[in-house]
Amino acid sequence: MVYSSLLFIYGFFPLSIMIYYIFRRKFPNGVLLILSMIFCGIISVYFLMFMILYTAVNFAACNFIEKKRSSKSVSGIIFYSAVIFDIAAIFTFRTDFFSGFKELIYVPDGFFPIGISFFTLSAVGTLIDVYFGRLKAEKNIVKFGLYIMFFPRLLMGPVLRYSSFIKMLKNRRDGLNEIGIGFTVFVKGLAKKVIAADSLYMLYSAVHGIDIENMTALTAWIGITAYLLCLYFTLSGFSDMGIGIGYCFGFRFPQSFNYPLFSTKIRYFTTRWHIQIIQWFRRYITKPLSSRFNNKIIKKLIFIAVWGLFGFWYTFSINGVVWGAIIGSAVTIENHFSNEKILNITGIIYTFLAVVIASVFLSGSDLSYSLKYLLVMLGGNRAFADSLSFYFIKSYIVILLISVYAATSLFRNLMIRSGRTWIRNAVVIVSPAIVMAFMIICTIMISYSGSSEMILLRL
Amino acid sequence: MKNTASKVTAIVMLAFVSFFLVFTIIGHKTNSSSYEQDSSEHITELSFETLIDGRFSDTLNTLITRNFPARNSWIAANSAFQAQFNESIVNGVYVDEKMLLNAEISLRPSSEKSAQEIKKFRSLYSGAMYFVAVPTSSGVYEEYLPKYLLSNPESRQINTFYNSLGADIRQIDAYNILKMLNENYIYYRNDTKWTSYGAYCVYRTVIQKLGFIPIAYDKYTIEHVTNEFRGTLYSKTLYSGVKPDMIDSYKFSSGAEIAECIGFDNNGQAQKQTICDKKRLDSGNKYDFYAGGELPLLKISTSVNNERKILVIKDSFGDCFLPFLVQHYSEIAVVSPENLECSLSELINTEDYEQMLFIFGIDSISDSSNFEKLNL
Repeated sequence: MVYSSLLFIYGFFPLSIMIYYIFRRKFPNGVLLILSMIFCGIISVYFLMFMILYTAVNFAACNFIEKKRSSKSVSGIIFYSAVIFDIAAIFTFRTDFFSGFKELIYVPDGFFPIGISFFTLSAVGTLIDVYFGRLKAEKNIVKFGLYIMFFPRLLMGPVLRYSSFIKMLKNRRDGLNEIGIGFTVFVKGLAKKVIAADSLYMLYSAVHGIDIENMTALTAWIGITAYLLCLYFTLSGFSDMGIGIGYCFGFRFPQSFNYPLFSTKIRYFTTRWHIQIIQWFRRYITKPLSSRFNNKIIKKLIFIAVWGLFGFWYTFSINGVVWGAIIGSAVTIENHFSNEKILNITGIIYTFLAVVIASVFLSGSDLSYSLKYLLVMLGGNRAFADSLSFYFIKSYIVILLISVYAATSLFRNLMIRSGRTWIRNAVVIVSPAIVMAFMIICTIMISYSGSSEMILLRL
Repeated sequence: MKNTASKVTAIVMLAFVSFFLVFTIIGHKTNSSSYEQDSSEHITELSFETLIDGRFSDTLNTLITRNFPARNSWIAANSAFQAQFNESIVNGVYVDEKMLLNAEISLRPSSEKSAQEIKKFRSLYSGAMYFVAVPTSSGVYEEYLPKYLLSNPESRQINTFYNSLGADIRQIDAYNILKMLNENYIYYRNDTKWTSYGAYCVYRTVIQKLGFIPIAYDKYTIEHVTNEFRGTLYSKTLYSGVKPDMIDSYKFSSGAEIAECIGFDNNGQAQKQTICDKKRLDSGNKYDFYAGGELPLLKISTSVNNERKILVIKDSFGDCFLPFLVQHYSEIAVVSPENLECSLSELINTEDYEQMLFIFGIDSISDSSNFEKLNL
């Protein structure tokens, strides 16, 4: 069950809101944990059992680390064992190296613990914080269980530090107002996924299906741009849906994407793309490693390597590493020339180009294919465009223009700058109708299959 | 003002989703399109295993999707929306103004395994065996499809299949006949199959290969039994921008007639059947008019007095071909492997028939299970 399915939107979501508001006074956290467990159980009972075991192991490890803090070796063994357990789990399910082990633990065919990339980071981050004494181990299994498997952040995060999550848990403000905001954000995310990402995926997969030897440069550019926009709308769409659902239960999760694609510098792109994940890598890997070295070149190499690791987290393949290393290197080079003044539009163009070129590696199945694709983009097939390129442009021009506009912050800036003028008031007045209209359009678009499950990267 | 708008949004949206939740649960489903027959494959029983491995979750989603209030209207709106703003491909169907076409022809599995099964079956039969591999509308009207969808065109799929079949089975080139005549109404606009006229065009060649002179077109009286046929491609899109199709009945009034038509189920139980039965036009699938029923074997005795017998093994493409054979054979046995659940030898002795004709669409040819059943 994904958020973008009829089962969730017209089944689990309204029922969970109803159940929460009935029981929130007596069991404010318990009801959310039970709803989250039901959510996991509907996906599959095996997934629920996996999540219970995963939560129990990490909860026990945190408490044992705290209990045995006086003995550094014992707490160290527990800490490293738990981290290895978490990392082994993600490697087991995100790679094909452990198929024998999967058989041993009776993993059903096609089983994938959705969201494992996110809750692994949450769990490992908490273990590190507890081990280094920055955080007291949680004694309440309900709160810890919610931190790992709270269903609005299960599929695509955001990855939060435990202390931040607990603050939100304590200070949540729920009610009709929050449900309204929640639905607005949820529908925004749903529209990103169902209207933009799914259409762009059709374009990307159409281009991807063409034999690379016969592809023209323009077609290759169209395909990779579609991929990048599709990736952005898929990730930020699911993230917005999660934030919206969280709002309905009183949680104000931070947004994961802040219009990164059309940033004026690559550096800004890196601070606006998957914000909490990048923060996690910076907090738990870049900073501790960099602090050990004074040499600037080593610090820069660490920065690039951690970006490579971030890319690996996306794909669990060398292609992801190359994607991350390109972005990391581009930021390093850009910082070197940071004193040079350039026009915003120049910055937007070179940032977008750098991100598009890096995306060739994120989208490719292997390095040689990505390099070939890159060559085609540069005119390697000696064909700039053909009738197919123009067919794609003609067929997808509307959705491409809408997507590019939606990926910029133009509308948000218009709203902010308009202050209390009639534009802002008019948008506020018609907002319920707009939300309803987008909900209807999204329902129309998933009415045949009942869900929109394309996630591009299995995270 | 912002707070009021949020509260209004909350009330409106909660009412909206709750309304559909309630009507999905209590609503009664009366419509039965062919899509729903397809999707019933995803329905699994509630059991420990299906709960554990997540199959029940898929079932739950399928049930909610199928029972969603006014689902047909949502799907129709989707097709109209997609055709306006996107590439005109809806649920794997290319929506052209003139006709709907299957856009996923290049994704079919290889027919190699099917060819091996047929050769195995051939080795046990001593008579003459003929094969007609029929393209779908996407093969004959491929110029309507964007080029990138034709990485493995049907002409190539049929050639590859025929090459694997070997010379021992006589192959009939339906593709080029139909391709040459594609300005005529030889394929349905809303389905992948050929029309009766398409079948007739191929019949002229087939029947000569079988040793007969074809009946001239002007000898037939053609009746349009319905002009409201909507096929499988329509069921996937519910796109009403393409005109509904006609189903034709070909009658040769001064020719031979069907003396008896008996159907046999998988237990060998006989029951009286009809072909070209107008009563079946009222069923969910008007194409059932031609042969209908879900029986594995049909035996048709005709008034032809020549002691010639033919065994036809076919999929749904063969249904509208059968009336043309009636003029030439005293007995026609028709086997539909998709309905066969027992050994063929339990139903029929193939050696009783001096000729055997396979008529299959390329879609069914790529599904080897159709032919594995013949060798059980």
